Amino acid sequence: MALLEEPIKEVKVLKNYINGEWVESKGEIIDVVNPATMKVISKVPISTREELDAAVKAAQDAYPDWRRTTPLARSRMLFRLKDLLEENFEKASRIQTQEHGKTIDESRGESRRGIENVEVACGIPTLMQGYISEDVAHGIDEWCMPTPLGVFGVIGPFNFPWMIPLWSIPYAVATGNTVVVKPSSEVPNSQTFLMELAEEAGFPPGVWNMVHGGRTVVNGMLEHPDIKGITFVGSTPVARDVIYKRCGETGKRVIAQAGAKNFMTIMPDCDAANTIAAMMTSFFGNAGQRCLAAANAIIVGEDDDYYNEFVGKVVEMAKKIKVGYGLDESIQMGPLRDPSKKQKVLDYIEIGLKEGAELVLDGRNVTVQGDYPPDCFVGPTIFKNVDPKSRLGSEEIFGPVMSIMRAKDLDEAIKITNENPFGNGHSIFTQSGANARYFQYNVVSGNVGINIGITAAMAFFPFGGLKDSFFGVLHTQGKDAIRFFTDTKVVIQRWF
Amino acid sequence: MALNTCSEGISFGRELEEASAAFYEELAKLFPDHAETFLGYAAVNKKNVSNVQRTYFGVITDGLEGCYAFNLEPGDYVIDVALPAGISLADALAKALALEETIVRFYNDAAEQGKGLMADVPRAFSLIARKRGERIDELKALGAR
Repeated sequence: MALLEEPIKEVKVLKNYINGEWVESKGEIIDVVNPATMKVISKVPISTREELDAAVKAAQDAYPDWRRTTPLARSRMLFRLKDLLEENFEKASRIQTQEHGKTIDESRGESRRGIENVEVACGIPTLMQGYISEDVAHGIDEWCMPTPLGVFGVIGPFNFPWMIPLWSIPYAVATGNTVVVKPSSEVPNSQTFLMELAEEAGFPPGVWNMVHGGRTVVNGMLEHPDIKGITFVGSTPVARDVIYKRCGETGKRVIAQAGAKNFMTIMPDCDAANTIAAMMTSFFGNAGQRCLAAANAIIVGEDDDYYNEFVGKVVEMAKKIKVGYGLDESIQMGPLRDPSKKQKVLDYIEIGLKEGAELVLDGRNVTVQGDYPPDCFVGPTIFKNVDPKSRLGSEEIFGPVMSIMRAKDLDEAIKITNENPFGNGHSIFTQSGANARYFQYNVVSGNVGINIGITAAMAFFPFGGLKDSFFGVLHTQGKDAIRFFTDTKVVIQRWF
Repeated sequence: MALNTCSEGISFGRELEEASAAFYEELAKLFPDHAETFLGYAAVNKKNVSNVQRTYFGVITDGLEGCYAFNLEPGDYVIDVALPAGISLADALAKALALEETIVRFYNDAAEQGKGLMADVPRAFSLIARKRGERIDELKALGAR
């Protein structure tokens, strides 16, 4: 199969989008590198505090008029955006692959999931309705209505450069708020392209702003008195110790989605062939850089023959995964996002070996399809006999590493799973409804999969984890997002 | 090498459609009495490409096994679109029949294997296979005239 055409053809310095204008930053400029080819594809500014302040001011100034814009008119603007997203679906997908490395199928899946949030937010005229009680006392009526709050900050991660900001932005602007988005500086092209489409859709100046950057921008958002709330996706230490903590200190609403160590419980009665296929996607999709990627496989039962045969099949299938540049349509797994992320995975492989786990598939010297530098590639890696309390078995690796462990029965599997500090997306593979229900009832996880390896909630359901995987109350997407981006005003009325 | 990913399967289907469309456009030039029929086939082929792509883009999700959707050997679906100079209508129709049978087989196989995708893509494949099956009957009737 031929390589699909790269959409980014010349290296440009990306600009911020503030108050309806594309603005050059005065900040330091850094390279954005395609992790498969290691070529520089664009340059991104690390914007200054003053530039963030200008964006927040634009958003604050735009807020009163935008709030007064009817929900129907805001919805129509989102419909226009949705049309543009569909027209540019393939370009958006290829940009994701070019800057992140994921396969083109994965990027298209990401594009679709992002668009689905715009589609849900298009329903804002009904989603934002309040409710009324007549005659709460003699001649008195009472009602409540959701009202927007003002300016929100949206901080995007590197692993889903297109979709994750769309978990928040459509709902924020649909409900009448204005936003300042900070894309990940590692993968800023996707949000820049989205911003271009939003501009074309006709959002008024200041409603939707974008400021590239790093810590200065994040800290500025956290400190800024005019920012009413923040949505963030990233690691647990940053989510908990920086974002959540400082939003609490400054009185901001917060959705801080954090790390994970997802367990997949595999029962002896599972459909083995379909389970193994799902395992490939769950453990190795997006090169494991997904907060819903499975990390640990608990194989339940004491039948050694079954265990050995199952593990053998998993290893055989994982060996066949084609690793390379995601714009080659035959590729099933792309690179890690950058060399430091690869190094982290290599470090965990060493840790696993030192802890006594048995390496049954070593991805360190993977054969990459095509002539690409090895800097960011690690192949599927599988350990067995992993202690769930070891570092390999308990810490987030964020790479294509599967740790296999055993449990004698379902109760033990659930106990192992629940002892881990994370609770993002655990799953069970079984043909037993009773086992499935028992699992979903008892496992402590924000998302639960039953014969689904990636427990990603659709746009009309909330998405968020539990325990160390999430900090906040309400979640992104769906009705939770509507509640997050609005406050409830109660009116009680009597006429004399 | 086998086609495994969604993207490969869809692209291969597009290649078959485009090659067969070009074949019918050439047939239309060679046999003007049947040009309307052949150009109609070519036009439908192009619609098939856009229908499948629209369906695929509408249901692809990172939550399913998109990179492991198929196990199709492209060598099993080779179509012969060469039209030697002076080819008779009967020979050309025989080639068209063989081409259609191969493409129908591709779509049926892809529909069967693609069940792991959301239902829409296999359904789109099956629909095309059925319509092309009808085309086979038409081509046979054309040859019998």
